[in-house]
Amino acid sequence: MKNISAFALGLALAFPATATFAQDDTLVIGRSASTNALDPGFLREAATIVDNIFDTMVMRDEDMKLVPGLATGWTAVDDTTWEFTLREGVTFHNGEPFDAEAVKFSLDRVLNPDNKAPTISYIRTISSVEVVDPMTVRIVTAKPDPLLPTRMSRYPAYIVPPKYIAEHGREHFANNPVGTGAYTFVDFVPDERVTLEANPDYWRGQPDIKTVIWRPIPDATARITSLITGEVGLIEDVPVDLVPLLQQTPDADLVQVENGGLTIYLGLRMDKAPLDNVKVRQALNHAIDRVSITENLLGGLATPKGTQVGAADFGYLDVPVPEFDPELSKQLLAEAGFEDGFEITLQSSFRYMKNAEVAQTIAQGFEDIGLDVNQETMEWSVYTQTVPFEGPIYMLGWGSTQTLDADAAIYAIMKSGEPYSGARIDALDALLDQSRSTVDPEARAAILQEIQEVAAEQVPLVTLYQEDKLMGKAPNVNFDGRADARIPVFSITMD
Amino acid sequence: MKGLRFLLSRAAQGLIVMFGVSALVFFALFLTGDPAVLMMAPDSTAAEIDAFREAMGFDDPIIVQYGRFLVDALQGDLGSSLRYSRPAMDLLTERLGATALLALSALLWSSLLGFLLGAIAAVRKNSPIDFAIRVISLLGQAVPVFWLALMLIILFSLNLRWLPSSGYGSLSHLVMPSVALGAYYLSAITRLVRSSLIETLGENYVRTARAKGLTEWRIVVRHALRNAMIPVVTLQGMYLASLMGGALVTEIIFAWPGIGRLAVEAIQNRDFPVVQAVVLFAALVFVVANFLVDVAYTWLNPRIRL
Repeated sequence: MKNISAFALGLALAFPATATFAQDDTLVIGRSASTNALDPGFLREAATIVDNIFDTMVMRDEDMKLVPGLATGWTAVDDTTWEFTLREGVTFHNGEPFDAEAVKFSLDRVLNPDNKAPTISYIRTISSVEVVDPMTVRIVTAKPDPLLPTRMSRYPAYIVPPKYIAEHGREHFANNPVGTGAYTFVDFVPDERVTLEANPDYWRGQPDIKTVIWRPIPDATARITSLITGEVGLIEDVPVDLVPLLQQTPDADLVQVENGGLTIYLGLRMDKAPLDNVKVRQALNHAIDRVSITENLLGGLATPKGTQVGAADFGYLDVPVPEFDPELSKQLLAEAGFEDGFEITLQSSFRYMKNAEVAQTIAQGFEDIGLDVNQETMEWSVYTQTVPFEGPIYMLGWGSTQTLDADAAIYAIMKSGEPYSGARIDALDALLDQSRSTVDPEARAAILQEIQEVAAEQVPLVTLYQEDKLMGKAPNVNFDGRADARIPVFSITMD
Repeated sequence: MKGLRFLLSRAAQGLIVMFGVSALVFFALFLTGDPAVLMMAPDSTAAEIDAFREAMGFDDPIIVQYGRFLVDALQGDLGSSLRYSRPAMDLLTERLGATALLALSALLWSSLLGFLLGAIAAVRKNSPIDFAIRVISLLGQAVPVFWLALMLIILFSLNLRWLPSSGYGSLSHLVMPSVALGAYYLSAITRLVRSSLIETLGENYVRTARAKGLTEWRIVVRHALRNAMIPVVTLQGMYLASLMGGALVTEIIFAWPGIGRLAVEAIQNRDFPVVQAVVLFAALVFVVANFLVDVAYTWLNPRIRL
């Protein structure tokens, strides 16, 4: 050890650390994942970085309300047509003007089936985009789509420069992006960094922070260490186990976005016995001590829930958390004809907070009401190929952070036949269909709430709890985190 | 001439190995599941997934896909990364420098120190210093690299603040990854040099040298070490080959932008072309290293020229 430390010391003295220790107007952000490409129309990852280079027509403020972005206003002309009035005088970083043609181009290239955009599902309700005049654009949907303005506030609806892409091609664009956003692109070195610089002509005003460097640091301990030592000023993804490290040091703060994470649930394959029986599903629902799991296992960094819909989502219904009542569960099992229990498999991965430990606790709860549980824990890339085909019980997380609408939180995991759904409940399917074709907000909210009532009774899946989103920041960085998980550097300041 | 034939037969064996590896990486990956499902957004419809699968060529008969893969690979085209939308070959070559730097630096310091410690331990066999070196080298091989890496970060970054905790770009960034990675090789090389040297020091020609009255260190350096090097060179060749395929754990922990990290991310995301490129490259390095070791053998020990 002495040899090694002497060696390290020697080198450290000879070559003083050149790491970019945070300067006043430079923010280094440590992320757990590497960025692959920066074309906002064809992302296969979260839009965290491109969100700072590009703008959408509709934006969300800190309270998650929809506010004007590149569009100054929008109205529903009829059930299937939305008209957006565009902001005058906005230019792309290369000087190209922002106009209706740019909007049409940006959406059309994602919708064009030849381009095989992996993000097409987010805007596939659109049937055409029409330029009315240079500052007005109409978006026509195939069926009534009440969520269209919301869809225009997230990827892939970022507005890109048509001439620049036509000139340089898509591959060049993905590595040298040009947008209208608060930051302009400087460089992108895969697995090393993405550097952005403040756009002095930004239409919302000049950003406070002049330079942003995004660094992928996959290992959590290294990521947190780099925050504490001041190498980075903000980090994503703090594992529960390492929270105390951040709480103890004066050199960094924990950013806890309450209910900013995914809602964890048990998916159930309902197409065969015994989970086709509602009493069995209800029995499972009452055999889990959600309060103990969130308090003791997750250290209060998650909130027990009775519905998949988030409290900030449109259409939320405050469904009480199912009571932990093993006796009731045993009784329900007996009523269903399973006095002696049955054998069942519970699948899980390592993706979420203390995933394996939580799965084990749940399995124990199921054993206590007389079931014989086989636990299977899989690596994530294998797991995603398995759910929801095998199960019959599988643990997953789902969220609506990108749209903040109940639809995103429930449709894909409760509707029969959807790729991630194991549920088969006719009454729910009818309501879900109805929710997607109702434009009137009040009527729609009522339907979404009814869906949650039916779900609480029929248990298409077992909702467990919603994770908080955990980040870390340097004491001089002013950022509270956002419910939609974005990091808009434009709104961050440093003391 | 015998030596040449020996080397030619080794080269032919290497080609067969490469062919076998190409078949293995190709078919093994497809056995694990459908890449199209994983690559698409979670709420994509079946029709959208089908369209994507067709675009990527995943719906052709697997033997056709293999044929296409083999022909392209021979021309240096290993396909385009599904995630980066860039040639897999480019991604690989971009990271080659970082991996080579880490591999060579780790092997260099561990070899130099390993030779020194191994020689001391062999010459002072069964002395306290030999015992100490043996204990240290046992520890070095027993300690898992991820643990050592985290301990280094906690000590030198978190507590002492001498070194950056992760990243790439300056010599100070290289220190901890290189130390963490080289610790294992230091131990392995020390142990091998020691045992190999002890064996050589018992040979007749060494006794002759002693009889001539040469000093012990002169005997070790001039006569014994060269012969003791044969197994060590083999080991180093293999180590370098495996290191060039990427030091997975070390590169992940220290956010080192090398081939190992590329491989792990590609596997996690089922980025088939990149996984295939990395495995093929690692196999190629292995085959080439093996060949070079054979060449070194014939030079170090004429008796091998069969």
